[in-house]
Amino acid sequence: MIPLSMLRRSAAQRLIAPLLVVFSVTMIVLGKVDQTLFEQLRISATDYAAPLLDGLSRPFVAITDVAERARAMIDTYHRNVSLTEENTRLLHWRQAALALAEENKALRDLLKLAPESARSFVSARVIASSGGAYLRNLLVDAGSENGIARGQAAVVGEGLIGRVSEVGTRAARILLITDLNSRVPVVVERSGQRAILAGDNSEKPALWFIEPAAPLRIGDRIVTSGEGGIFPPGLPVGIVFAVEPGQPRVEPYRRPSQVEYVRIVDYGLAQGLPMPVAAPRGAPHAAPTGIGRTSHR
Amino acid sequence: MALRTENAAANPQIGHRPARLLPLLTMLVATVVSLAPVPLPGWPELTPAFALMALYHWTIYRPDLLPPVALFAIGVGFDLLSGGVPGVTPLLLLLSRAAVLSCRRRFVNRGFAFVWAGFAILTGAAMFGLWGLDSLLAWRLSSPNASVFRAAVTVALFPIASFVLGRSQHAFLGPA
Repeated sequence: MIPLSMLRRSAAQRLIAPLLVVFSVTMIVLGKVDQTLFEQLRISATDYAAPLLDGLSRPFVAITDVAERARAMIDTYHRNVSLTEENTRLLHWRQAALALAEENKALRDLLKLAPESARSFVSARVIASSGGAYLRNLLVDAGSENGIARGQAAVVGEGLIGRVSEVGTRAARILLITDLNSRVPVVVERSGQRAILAGDNSEKPALWFIEPAAPLRIGDRIVTSGEGGIFPPGLPVGIVFAVEPGQPRVEPYRRPSQVEYVRIVDYGLAQGLPMPVAAPRGAPHAAPTGIGRTSHR
Repeated sequence: MALRTENAAANPQIGHRPARLLPLLTMLVATVVSLAPVPLPGWPELTPAFALMALYHWTIYRPDLLPPVALFAIGVGFDLLSGGVPGVTPLLLLLSRAAVLSCRRRFVNRGFAFVWAGFAILTGAAMFGLWGLDSLLAWRLSSPNASVFRAAVTVALFPIASFVLGRSQHAFLGPA
């Protein structure tokens, strides 16, 4: 005869897996209905895990550094020749830039334009990626204690790669411009056509709603338009890569998935970023989370 | 000392208490490694499903050491850290466990090719499920290419993972 307690335990053990499946499905539905529901939990988790992820990412950085150094040593001669040529060219451009800056300043004085808002930036190291086929984001080792706030631009080299979407104390998440949920108002620099840069999880985001004023050309520079007030106008994003009708695509200046360090730039515009849309559960329940507080610091 | 090792090997159910945490530990390592920012072209799309490899191995050989509660916790942790919708990974892990558990006896003491083929089927089903769930949640049909390539990379790397897991199992928990 099997003891009753053992039968009960066995029944409970058999039930626990289906219960957890039901619980997982409930979490998915709730998380989809109210996207702010798990945000505080997510921020806390990333904050706690940041030191571990930081330690884990270091060997990969070290390996990349060694590979880069080895490649640089092999290429020394060719690189030296091309850098010398580039330096000569850049010296010419430096003179041109200085002259243009002076002229720009004089014209601004003439027009009495308001000066651009001051910008500050924080350099942060990438400590984790999204690790999946359907997400494009990065975790960096800087958070609200370093002055990072929701909505700030993430820039690598000369190009925009994303924006800060979640901020913890020690870590922040950057939603890349290639993510399915990323939409950035942009403008074609040559023609002034406005469009929306829409991520679709591929390495080359699409251009949506482009004004049909002039045909796009491969190599056209795409910069932010400044509409929406999240990014300043004129921030370089990438160049037009494909111009097939209905499917123009942009190649970002840097592949967001391969960056090791990013600059989080505060253009003083972050407060323009609206809070995530909460479920229609009534305002009191959808009170600002930690993200909201940091973004309106 | 020799006697202790012999005993543990003779009866893997006993094992040493810390060693019994090995499946959990390997699942954790597999999950964290999936988040590593490897600076390789296309890595985010093709990140192998390391956790699925560990889950498959331990569910076949030591399912008692990988309880569903632990899988749920690891899955939720991964979703929170990766920025995904919480619940997707635990659902995937729990359903995969249930699927493997239902036919694990067929895989025990079988040749590696057979076990590998089983893993290929599981990975295919899991990636198809992930793709379907993503399409459903985003309410648009996403391209299945990334899932297909990810499944291929995961299946291709399974022999290495299986070797490492098998050796560590043999060393710490005794033969299967």
